[in-house]
This record gives sequence, structure tokens and C-alpha cells, in this order.
Amino acid sequence: MHSPAGSRSDRPVSGRAPISVTRSERDLAVLTQGLTKLYRNPWTLKVTRGLEGLDLELPRGEVMGYLGPNGAGKTTTLKLLTGLLKPTRGAGWLLGESIERPASRRRLGFLPEQPYFYDYLSGMEYLVMAGRLSGLAAHDADRQAKLWIGRVGLGDRPGLRLRKYSKGMLQRLGLAAALVHRPELLILDEPMSGLDPFGRRDVRDLILEQKHRGVTVLFSSHILPDVELLCDRVAIVSGGRLSRVASVEEIVHGAAQRIEITCAVASTAEIPAPWRPALAREARPQGCLYVLEREALLDEVLAWLVQSGAGVRAVVPHRTSLETLLLSAATADGAPPREPESEPERRSA
Amino acid sequence: MSALLIAQNTFRETTRDRVMAGMVLAGFVLLVVTQIATPLALGEGTRLTMDLGLSGISMIGLFAILLVGTSLVAKELERRTIYNLLSRPIARSAYLVGKWAGLTAALWTVAIALGLALWGTLALRGMRGSAPAVFEATYLAGLELSVVSAIAVLCSSLSTPVLSALYTLGFYLVGQWSYDLRELASKFPAPLSGILHIVADLAPNLPLFNMRTLAASGQVTSPLHLALATGYALLYVACMLSLANAAFESRDFK
Amino acid sequence: MNAGPVATRGAGAPAGGARAVHKRMMMAWMLALFFGVASYGMARTASQLVPHPHALEELSYYPSGAHLGVATLGHSESAADIAWLRAVQYYGGHRFTDNRFVRMEHVFDILTSLSPGFLPAYEFGSFALAQEGGDFPAAERLMLKGLEANPRSGRLAFQAGFLYFVKPGGRDFRSAARYFAQSARQPDAPPMAGRFAAFAEQQSGDLAVAYELWRQVALTSHNRYMRQIAEEQMDRIRDAIVSGRPQAAIKHMPTPIVILK
Repeated sequence: MHSPAGSRSDRPVSGRAPISVTRSERDLAVLTQGLTKLYRNPWTLKVTRGLEGLDLELPRGEVMGYLGPNGAGKTTTLKLLTGLLKPTRGAGWLLGESIERPASRRRLGFLPEQPYFYDYLSGMEYLVMAGRLSGLAAHDADRQAKLWIGRVGLGDRPGLRLRKYSKGMLQRLGLAAALVHRPELLILDEPMSGLDPFGRRDVRDLILEQKHRGVTVLFSSHILPDVELLCDRVAIVSGGRLSRVASVEEIVHGAAQRIEITCAVASTAEIPAPWRPALAREARPQGCLYVLEREALLDEVLAWLVQSGAGVRAVVPHRTSLETLLLSAATADGAPPREPESEPERRSA
Repeated sequence: MSALLIAQNTFRETTRDRVMAGMVLAGFVLLVVTQIATPLALGEGTRLTMDLGLSGISMIGLFAILLVGTSLVAKELERRTIYNLLSRPIARSAYLVGKWAGLTAALWTVAIALGLALWGTLALRGMRGSAPAVFEATYLAGLELSVVSAIAVLCSSLSTPVLSALYTLGFYLVGQWSYDLRELASKFPAPLSGILHIVADLAPNLPLFNMRTLAASGQVTSPLHLALATGYALLYVACMLSLANAAFESRDFK
Repeated sequence: MNAGPVATRGAGAPAGGARAVHKRMMMAWMLALFFGVASYGMARTASQLVPHPHALEELSYYPSGAHLGVATLGHSESAADIAWLRAVQYYGGHRFTDNRFVRMEHVFDILTSLSPGFLPAYEFGSFALAQEGGDFPAAERLMLKGLEANPRSGRLAFQAGFLYFVKPGGRDFRSAARYFAQSARQPDAPPMAGRFAAFAEQQSGDLAVAYELWRQVALTSHNRYMRQIAEEQMDRIRDAIVSGRPQAAIKHMPTPIVILK
């Protein structure tokens, strides 16, 4: 077994034996094994699960949406990966570097949820500082800052102090700060938050542009149409556990789960026995509704209905949507224990 | 390198703070006020200028630490601006060292500016040769402020801005009274006496940085005193920052 | 990307809104002016009708300067300077009114405890207590406190000698001589310290010591006139001893008294 970069993985977490990695550094941008975050109340000693046993693999160049209800563990995961939280158990690697080491963040661009900035700095000053802190040389940071402040639409007043920025402007600046040093991995927590539709469109374009450049993107969002549009895969977390990982292609363009066929009248013939497990009839005030749960039988069923004089009026396929997946994942785990609320969630509650 | 960048940013933050500018202005106003008061001093105007000028440097520095320095880290934690820094390839220790260095650089700048103003005022008053005493006293005041600012960074990384100001002030008071504490310790029976001695030894030995009495009469201190004070300040600062790092290293930023 | 939100005036904002705001602002300024003038007048009236603390009254509540020093947090010199300013004001205030200096010893005790090296405080305080204050024992206590804190000060020892030399009601030549001689032995002694020591010893009647002290002045003084005076006094002492009339060597000096105008 080889760890990333051909050497044994970094020092153990929480006293456990080192966890080895099988995939090579070249393939994976993000890798977690058993990543866990538990919170213990110092007074009651009660343990709350923020995240438990996360095993996640994100290949390079992929865009993954990280979904889940409020309090599911999304922000906890992103903060564990970016070093803001210390894991209770398990391990993680970003681009082959253990998340325990600051070097793992060298090629990372991170946008926290509702970013806060130093209000005494100007936008330009902040981007230059961000670039330099991520390892850019002074002249390079200056050049990149000028580039990105213009790209995110804040270039007309680069000297404006951040205390005068609106929420949307701050969000855009945060994106620029995440991109200023040409990262190979982007982790974005609610990147569309606070933006108007035009802003959201621009962020989508940015993410697509980065994807085409080969940058790996992991982002959390509640705006499911954006996730469907941008992501290759989605991971759904609920109650602090990874519930499901699925390809967006399969979800959006996969086989229909249920097809509703509206007819003018009920067919005179009985439903053939072999079809009965998959085909049901429901009376409607005007006509009849046939519900087919196997898309493979559609052609035969339609032919039978036409032949039997039912008068087919509409055929509506229902595929599993992201929303459905999300809701089913949430309800499958029951009421999820909430992760410790961050300030923005508390304010919005 | 990261520590230097954070130090530069902290220096910028501190010097752009209106409270800091107000403190420096207060220092210059104090010097002007002493000159206005000198006719009432019955010939002791130069002494008055020296004493109040040197006290001003220390007290203004202390106020700056309490009002600005103690919230440096705590404010970043409250406002979540620390996410932007620690999600970059920066060690937490580098962050703390950078914060302390930036704050200390700002305090030294203030101390030197006020020290130069004091020297100029004394020269105008005809007190020739006051430079060595003034600059030695200013140097020691700068060391004292460096130590107190390290305590402020430690308290700030553990608590809210208001509480960390109170804790820092508490350390400052105990430090100023460290010699009195030792004297008091000798008046108590064995276990309490030992505890008080330990408290006095652990508290910052701030009287070590006080040569205002000597400077009042235009005298300078010995090179040994300066060397001891410098060495002690460096060690104490290193200790405080190490403690802050130990507390910070395992901290979760929720 | 779009720029940030731009503030716009609401379509239905009333035209008179700005006037109302201006009116309210003017009202607020007028109220502030009215209350400001009223409180100013009230303060002036109160200061004339209601007794207020005199300078240094607050200092009389402090038990001693030693404890006060702890409270100054290392800034005892500055605290002493502020106390000095107040002490000078106190002296001046009473000197030109009732010539009563009830708290002066306590004040100077605090001042000199805060700053034991503040020599002018001992000098001024002692002489003010002895002369205007009419309290020589208090003056003596203050001066001796200064000498204990500054044993190597020739300047202060000389002042101590002078304090005894001009003691109201009767000069104390012996004590004066002792302190003048102590002063003469210090590196910062005033040039006349030796001469004063010799003269005081002579006035106290100890002619042998006086003769020896004059001899030292004659040998060590750089001033020709001083050497001449020393030799004259040595001749005078010799003549007085030889003639059996030691009183001839003692000069009659008037008793110091203090007249406060």
C-alpha cells in the first residue's frame, strides 16, 4: 500500500495507527478516510456528532456538489479539510498532503460561508495579501490581484475600503481571494450566497471556467439547479454521515422511476397479469391515470392502451431529482442531529 | 515569511486604528501640557517634563495594548476573519507570532516618536545631554510594552476582547507589584508564602524595565541592566507566545 | 460582473422631508445650547455657594507615601511631580492669605516617600516648615529623612547645616557644623561647605576643631580670598586661646526670627 507521493502518510491522528492510502497522488484531489468530528459539552459531557466516518474520494478535475440539510455536517466537512477544525478521528488529504499540515492548503482556494474581511483594508490590498499568504511573490501577487479584482467586477474602485462593501461585493471578493493564487483545488461553502441572479450566473461561469482549466471544485450549495448544471457528482450528507454519492448524469438523465400516462377513458381490457406489479390504474374525475414503474415496458403499454381505445392524452416521465434524493436521504436518517451552529446559521434561524 | 506578512498587516491594522492615533496625539498633548505647567513647578520644570514624558510613553503604550492589542486575535475570532488566514498555508504559530510582531512594531513606533518628542522638548529647555537617559528609558519602556503585548496576545487568543483586556490589565498590575508581592510573601506562613513567591516569580518582572527614577536625574543605567532586561523580555515573550500557540493549536474555529 | 447595489431615492419620498429633518436638527442644537448655558451657570453658582475641596485635601486622606507608591504602578516619580505642583500651589495659596500650613508636613512626607531622591522637595519643604510654618521639629524630621535617603548628597547636607544655622529662635551651631562638615566630605559639596563648617564650629565654641577646619580651607581652597579669610580666622583663634579669652573668637550674631508679611 502506498500513501500519496510514494511515502507513508503523515503522523497518526488522535493516537491511532497511521492510515495508508491506496490511490496515487495523481488521481485524487480530496481523499478522506473515516474523517470524524465529535463535540463534547464540557459541562454535561454529552457528545454531539458533527461528522462521522466520512470516506470521500474526489478525483482531480471533477466538480462535486456537497449537499445536505441544515446541520448535516457540510460546513464541518469543509472546515475539517481546510484546517479550521481538528478531526477527532480519521484522516484527510488534499492533493496528496495531509490536512494536518499547513502545506496541504498551498494549492487550495477556500471561500467560507459568509466571508468576513478586514474592514480597514481596500479590496486590492486584501487580494495582494491573500496572494502573498498563499505563496505568491510580491509582483505576482500584485498582478494577480489586479486581474481578479477586475474579473469579479470590483475593479472600478480598487481602493475602496472593505467596510463600504455590500454583501454581494464581499462574496465576489472572497471568490477572487480564493482564486488569486491559481489554486488547483477550490473548496467553496455556499458560493452563491448573497448574490443576485446576475451574480450567481457569473459565479457559475467562473466555476465552469475553472473546471475547464482542470481545477477540482468541491462546493456546497442549496441551489439545486446550479448543482445539476455544474457538478459531475454529488455527495449527500445527513446527520453527520455520508448518505449517498451519485453521478448527476445518472440522476438527471437516468431511467425514469415512474411514468404517468393520462388517458381519456379507462381501458376496457384488464391489465395483463405480467404487467400488474409495474402498472397501476387510478381513476380520475376526467379520464384515467395509469402509473408505470418500469420504463422498459412503456412502448408495449402505450400500444396496448391505444389498441384498447383508452385515448392516450399525456405521457409524463418522473425521474429522481436531486431534491428527491436530498429529501429521502434526510428522512432516511430521521431528524438529523444539528452540527454546532456557526454564527451565520444562528443569525438566520 | 507568513509571520512577516501577518506582522505587516497587523502593523497596518494597528496604525490605521483611530484609537491608536488618538493615543499618540494624547502623548504630544501631554508634553505640551507639561510645558504649560512648568511655571508652577518652582524651577523643577525640566524634571516635570522628563518624568511625565517618560510616564506618558509607558501609560499610552499600555492603553494602546488594552484598547487595541487585546482585541487583535479575539476580534478576528469573533468576526471570523481568521478563516481567511488559517485556510491558507500558514501555521497557527506563525499567525500568533505575526500578530505579536505587528502590534509590538506599532508600539515601538509610538514609543520612539514620543521619545524623540521628549528629547526635543528637553533640548529646547536647555537640558543638554539628556539623550542617553531618554533613549535608554524609552528602550526599556519599549521592552516592557513588548512583554505586555505578548500577554495580550495570549489572553486574546483565549478569550473575548473585554475579558482579555481585563486579564492583561491584571497581569500588568501583578507584574508592577511583583517586588511588593515578594515582600508581602515573607510576612505569611509557609504554604501561602511559597505560593505568593511563585506568583511573584511567574508574573512579568515589570519593575526591571523601569528606569524613570534614574532618568529623572539625567542618569543612565548600566549595560548589564540593559542586557538583563533585553534577555528577560525575549524569554518572557517567547514563553507567552508558546503558551498562546499551545492553546491555539488544538482550537476549533466553528 | 455587476457592480454593487446603488442607492436610489424612493419614488414617493416627500419633498418636505429634508426641511423636517433640518428643523429637527436645529431644534436639537438649540436645546443643546440652552442646556449647555444652563449647566454652565449652575456650575458657576455652585462653585461660589457650595464648599469645595482645597488643594491637597485629598492627599491628607492617604496614610503614607509608602503605600501610595504601590498604587502608582511604577510611576512614583510622575506622581511625586504632580504632588510637587500641588504642594507649591498650596504653599503659595496660604502664604498670601492666612499663612497657615497645617498639611504641609504630611504633603511633603508623601512627596518625598514617592520620590526619595527629589532633593528640592526636602530643601523647600524643610525651610518652609521651619520659617513660614513655624514648626522646626517637622522641618528637622523632613531634612533628616532626606539625608537618610541620600547619604552621599553634599548639597542636601549643606542645606541641613544651613537649616540649623538659621534656626528661628536660636541658631544651633553645633548641628550646623556637623552637617556642613559632612557636606564638605561629599563629591558634590558646594565650594563654601568647608568654610561654613569651620565658621559654625568656631561659633559653637569648639575652637580647636574650628582652627583645624580653617587650616584645611587655607590649604585646599583655590580662591585667594578664601585662603586669606581662613588665615585671618586662624590668627583670631590663636590670639583668643593665647590670651585666655576664647569668647573673643566668637562673633556675635543676631537670633533669627521670622516675620511674615
